[in-house]
Amino acid sequence: MSKKQDVLIQPLAHFHGGLVLRHHKKMSCTAPLQHAGIPDELLVSIKANRGHVSEPVVQIGDKVLKGQVIAYPIHPFGAVFHAPTSGRVTAINSANSASQDALPGACISIQTDGQDQWVTPPETIELPSTANAIIKKIRAAGIIGMGGAGFPTHVKYDQSSPPTSTTIIINGAECEPYISCDERLMLDHPQDIIKGTLWLLKAAHSKRAIIAIEDNIGGVKKRLEAEIKQLKLKQQGWHITVVKVPTIYPTGGEKQLIKVLTGKEVPSGQTPLSLGIIMQNVATAKAVYDAIELHKPLIERVVTVTGDVVAEPRNYTALIGTPFNYLLNLAACDFTAMDKLVIGGPMMGYAMPHAEIGLEKTTNCLLALPAESTKPEIEAMPCIRCGDCVKACPQELLPQQLLWYINGNDQQNDLEKARDHHVFDCIECGACSWVCPSHINLVDFYRFAKSELTYMDHKKAKAQAAKQRHDDRAARLERIKAERQAKRRSKTAQLADKKSAQKEISAVLSRIKQQSNNKQTDE
Amino acid sequence: MNNPNSQKLNTSSAPHIPARISVQKVMLWVCLALLPATLAHLYYFGLGILVQLSLAVGSAYIFEWWCLHWRKQPVKPFIADLSALVTAWLFVLCISPIAPWYVAVVGMFFAIVVAKHLYGGLGHNIFNPAMVGFCAILIAFPQSMSLWLPPGGLVDNLVAGQSMTGAEIFKWVFTGHSALQIDAVTAATPLSAIQTGLQQSFTLSELTGQAIFGDFGGLGWEWIANWLFIGGAILLYKRIITWHVPAAVIMTTIAASTPFYLFNSDVFMSPQQHIFSGGIMLAAFFIATDPTSGCSSFRGKLIFGAGVAILTVLIRNFGSFPDGVAFAVLLMNISAPLIDRMSIPQPYGKKSRTNPHD
Repeated sequence: MSKKQDVLIQPLAHFHGGLVLRHHKKMSCTAPLQHAGIPDELLVSIKANRGHVSEPVVQIGDKVLKGQVIAYPIHPFGAVFHAPTSGRVTAINSANSASQDALPGACISIQTDGQDQWVTPPETIELPSTANAIIKKIRAAGIIGMGGAGFPTHVKYDQSSPPTSTTIIINGAECEPYISCDERLMLDHPQDIIKGTLWLLKAAHSKRAIIAIEDNIGGVKKRLEAEIKQLKLKQQGWHITVVKVPTIYPTGGEKQLIKVLTGKEVPSGQTPLSLGIIMQNVATAKAVYDAIELHKPLIERVVTVTGDVVAEPRNYTALIGTPFNYLLNLAACDFTAMDKLVIGGPMMGYAMPHAEIGLEKTTNCLLALPAESTKPEIEAMPCIRCGDCVKACPQELLPQQLLWYINGNDQQNDLEKARDHHVFDCIECGACSWVCPSHINLVDFYRFAKSELTYMDHKKAKAQAAKQRHDDRAARLERIKAERQAKRRSKTAQLADKKSAQKEISAVLSRIKQQSNNKQTDE
Repeated sequence: MNNPNSQKLNTSSAPHIPARISVQKVMLWVCLALLPATLAHLYYFGLGILVQLSLAVGSAYIFEWWCLHWRKQPVKPFIADLSALVTAWLFVLCISPIAPWYVAVVGMFFAIVVAKHLYGGLGHNIFNPAMVGFCAILIAFPQSMSLWLPPGGLVDNLVAGQSMTGAEIFKWVFTGHSALQIDAVTAATPLSAIQTGLQQSFTLSELTGQAIFGDFGGLGWEWIANWLFIGGAILLYKRIITWHVPAAVIMTTIAASTPFYLFNSDVFMSPQQHIFSGGIMLAAFFIATDPTSGCSSFRGKLIFGAGVAILTVLIRNFGSFPDGVAFAVLLMNISAPLIDRMSIPQPYGKKSRTNPHD
């Protein structure tokens, strides 16, 4: 491969702003992975990226086996869901999901039987030989982005049109404090991750991958490099590089990591593919390995259970659907002292209303915090425009200006001004909210503006479509009327001439006669 | 399981870790950064600043309290934010240490009531409150503003009987009477000395030979400026301000005053006199850096600082007031929204150099 195709730059670039945060990672990352076991009940949410709900294909009372498909996607961005263990379906209803605001979504409850009985797998595992076969397998295994966004993995490859120029970045940079599931996974299963990466490379017709990790996790780079050496990948033409990136929040954000590694910026509103880059989380790479080489769909994941009220913080391999209180109980969480249960990290995570929610494919961390370590809910002061948020914003926005417009402090069309100030480029990393001396929850305002603008656009598009329909109909009626009038005019003109009028009359008479004759014969 | 299903948890939104700073802390750091310069002021010009400080702070808080009540705002958090203290302090550093008592009160009325609360309170003022207060009294009481004490070591002056003691200042401030011959113990500020001197056709080199001038600016003033610089460095180190405004103000002052000085050094002050004689250093680190009335983007801050410096130099060289910093700041305050609108930074992924097709 030519040097030109190498997107990695040395020295690495920087993204604007960002924060240096206390890691709090060591507490959960020292112990090796442990399987969380099979809880009595699993709550499998069948919602993937952006709330695309899949259609259940089992019914209440059905017996399901481990790995059996229980829901198929309706939307292309949905995902296939499998039973994580064997048992009986007890309910299919709406339940709180482990996503923003714990929005209720369709959920299949499974009473486990403890047998953990697999659906009969094929006698021999056939390894896919073409890119399409790999993508198909990834899709069938229900793999979605496990870093948090939950974007279906197969979609990223369906469209990779310029082959061989693609670079895959395996994102092992968990920039949020407390979360250590990716680090632990890289320490315990380095070979699986690299093998999964190879399958992803084959799916993208590419040979080049970068595994990015943060520079505060010491042993990981050596482990991965040793595996790469042992697998003799270089000799086979694979270029897999492990790169340490500076630990600055949010360096693990897709756009920020691409900037750091390549010096390029993903054009606004486009995917990294426009730069010839596909980014996947390390856990996704592991899931791909499991799906293809072990014929195991995505039914479990590694999750960090940590926080200041958790006595034994550690990383668990847990079945999808495992209730949070089961996991917290395993890690000896002090429930009475728990004030907040955050899904994800402290910067972007969502606080759950209760712990009776099932683990999802995207849930990377359960963070249980006591009242004293959460942000005190003091009343927000007015913005003094100090500009700390401008300094911190990794997207180079003007957060305080956005707040001003969203707050309606300017005259009309304030939300449109927020759009002009690029509110849709906000990645909601929370850096601005964290540095705000007035303790304003800025991200909440941006989320509001985005959803409001999206809704307004939707309404506008609908109104425009309705208007278009109305205009079309009016034009059609007008056209029909004009045609009729033209016809009538031509007829009047015909009748004005005596000879042709006579001809017309006789034609009509003969037609009537014909008709009455026909009638008689019918009778 | 020992967890009751109905356990209601706190669902406030992210971030879920406490913030590291508050408005109060920001203001406290600004006050701390003003401390060295205030001590220098005390050393060179005597106890007057303490009298003025207590007058201004006291009236500022009375006005603040009254306005908050009147506007039906929560009193406690807004009193505790210390922003009125900063306003009063900055104002006091601009006025004469022996100004009559009503100067501080009227100044604070304009600063707190008019400039701050009539525009919507903390974070909503268009103009820098301290500068509004200062300009109001500059126009209302020009006489009192030009009456300064001669600089010099506090102790030396007291021993030599050349300056006013605390008691005398106190009496003078509150009654307007003094046992001393007031003309004998007061002096002009360096900038007004230059202005009046130039009007009497003295050359600059003759004027700066006077006792009130020091090595590179006004005697005493230059040291206050130095200590303001130290205070500004503290704010920069604590990341309360960015380098953009101070750098723009100081560099542009040099750039704008140098051509005049080279053209005619008898009439136009040298760059270092510009920087060390008046309010430039205060403006660079403490006034033009006021975030509320300034610009928000980095490019905007550079333009804002440069504007303050250019206007200051022009007013000093050609205007009828000896110092122009306050007016320059107010003029730039009104321009700030326009500058902001013209200097929206290009966010990630929308830069034309990375995306030629955009």
